[in-house]
Amino acid sequence: MVKATTGTAQIHAEGEYAPLLDVWSDRYRQEGWHYLLEAIFGDQLPHTPELLIDFQWKLGMAVSSDSCRSLKYPYVAVMLKVADHSGQVKNKSFEMTIPQFQNFYRQFKEIAAIIETV
Amino acid sequence: MAGELESCKSLSGLLSGLAQDAFYGHPGITEELLRSQLYPDVPIEEFRPFQAKMRGILKSIASADMDFNQLEAFLTAQTKKQGGITSDQAAVISKFWKSHKTKIRESLMNQSRWDSGLRGLSWRVDGKSQSRHSAEIHTPVAIMELEIGKSGQESEFLCLEFDEIKVNQVLKKLSEVEESISTLISQSS
Repeated sequence: MVKATTGTAQIHAEGEYAPLLDVWSDRYRQEGWHYLLEAIFGDQLPHTPELLIDFQWKLGMAVSSDSCRSLKYPYVAVMLKVADHSGQVKNKSFEMTIPQFQNFYRQFKEIAAIIETV
Repeated sequence: MAGELESCKSLSGLLSGLAQDAFYGHPGITEELLRSQLYPDVPIEEFRPFQAKMRGILKSIASADMDFNQLEAFLTAQTKKQGGITSDQAAVISKFWKSHKTKIRESLMNQSRWDSGLRGLSWRVDGKSQSRHSAEIHTPVAIMELEIGKSGQESEFLCLEFDEIKVNQVLKKLSEVEESISTLISQSS
């Protein structure tokens, strides 16, 4: 069967489940014992992806603060409206620096390119 | 004693220690720790005003995010005033700021961000099949995991599902952000 050691978050699979691990990225292998459970039990797991209802953004410029009079850095603030499977809606917000945003945008473009071909 | 306080190697260490305390929020960097490690032969009554002076100079430089011209002008002024610094000390401070400026600035930026920051992002694209009651439907979805967290707090993981339409909707918004950024950059240059 499959042994999961939560202390080190490593997965050891034996027998018929061994091939499952081969198709997963290293990250899933190291951290993802809960992903393995998801694969086996699917939607019955409490942790399921939420749906994005709305995406709002703001480009801000931090000018000054009490610890730094000359901050002057731009940032992207994002407000996500997400709904879980029970229909409950929550707002989640976070900020990104410009380089972080560029990376975020680049990854989204990659996703779009792949999802088109699937 | 004055000679001790003028030592350049110790000053470099002192500036590092002060930065750890003032900017990186490293706990436990006390005045006594700095003195005993870097200026063991200097009595505390002499060390105290000295380190306060250096701390003040470092904070002024960081607060104004000085470029190298401003830095030079500022440090020169410090060497000329009563109870200021020596030109050797100015050189050490200048060298320190040049090599630590980016890191200190980043630290100050993080300190002033009170909303969650984006710590990590991973994703996969699944071909989703539904059966049971309906015919097999093959709708690709993107599953994205966002790791967000506030400064000094544990991460929160947000797991989102997007279909192709939603991905493109978000992509359109992101291109609007990109456009705004370009406008901002072109305006400030």
